[in-house]
Amino acid sequence: MSDRSTVYLKNRARGQLVEAALIDGVTLQEITCVESSWRPISEHNSKGAEHSHWDWREKHEAVAGLIAYRMFGIECDSEMQGLMLVSTAGHACLIPTRRGRELVYIDFVASAPWNSIATASNPRYSLVGRVFVATAIRLSQEEGFRGRIGLHSLPQAESLYAANCGMTDLGIDRKKENLRYFEMTPEQAEVYLR
Amino acid sequence: MAEREKDRKTMTLNLTEAEMAALENLSAAKDLSKTAVLRQALRLYQLVDARLSRGETLYFEDKGKKNKSELMVL
Repeated sequence: MSDRSTVYLKNRARGQLVEAALIDGVTLQEITCVESSWRPISEHNSKGAEHSHWDWREKHEAVAGLIAYRMFGIECDSEMQGLMLVSTAGHACLIPTRRGRELVYIDFVASAPWNSIATASNPRYSLVGRVFVATAIRLSQEEGFRGRIGLHSLPQAESLYAANCGMTDLGIDRKKENLRYFEMTPEQAEVYLR
Repeated sequence: MAEREKDRKTMTLNLTEAEMAALENLSAAKDLSKTAVLRQALRLYQLVDARLSRGETLYFEDKGKKNKSELMVL
């Protein structure tokens, strides 16, 4: 089952917001299109984004049919501009004041290689990450988690989650490939969505 | 996401007093509605069942005592 709603990305060249489709329930067919369009660019760049090796087909197949997972995509200009996999069960807050409360956990989030500052000399669209974080917050609110979300960040994205998203930095997680763990509280989520 | 809201189905659930008490306690402890608790339970049950069906094992670990115990799921 796949739903589409309207979101907005920023066309960097024109400096304008453009309409895009947020896809809730990315299909295997759409993943096939992502593979053929993203992979050649990622493979061509020796200094690529840290997530360029992620196998989205493998991730899609691993969670197929499991209601604890949702895969989102953002389509614009007939191409997938980003993908995000989240889980809505099995993750709880680590912030001491909210410890044990459920949250939406962002397992994986990536922008298309032509949108990445690390990969492209002239990135096409911005706001992909921002739309995905907002999507995870809204999902958290729908689930009754009051906007609480959590994620482990790749080093390249740490400043995005700390400074741009205003999430709480809970430090390096030695059990998760030494990645830095961030959480967003309901109050931070409200500020983010304003 | 709004479309999925419209697709929701409603059902009546009969619980014993003890089951309802457990549900209410979890609802209060987790700051979730009773419906949200049950939806969480279903998601976790399906996830655990899928992984056990693949031959994986579910453990609880007590770091203090440094022991692991296997959780048997029906």
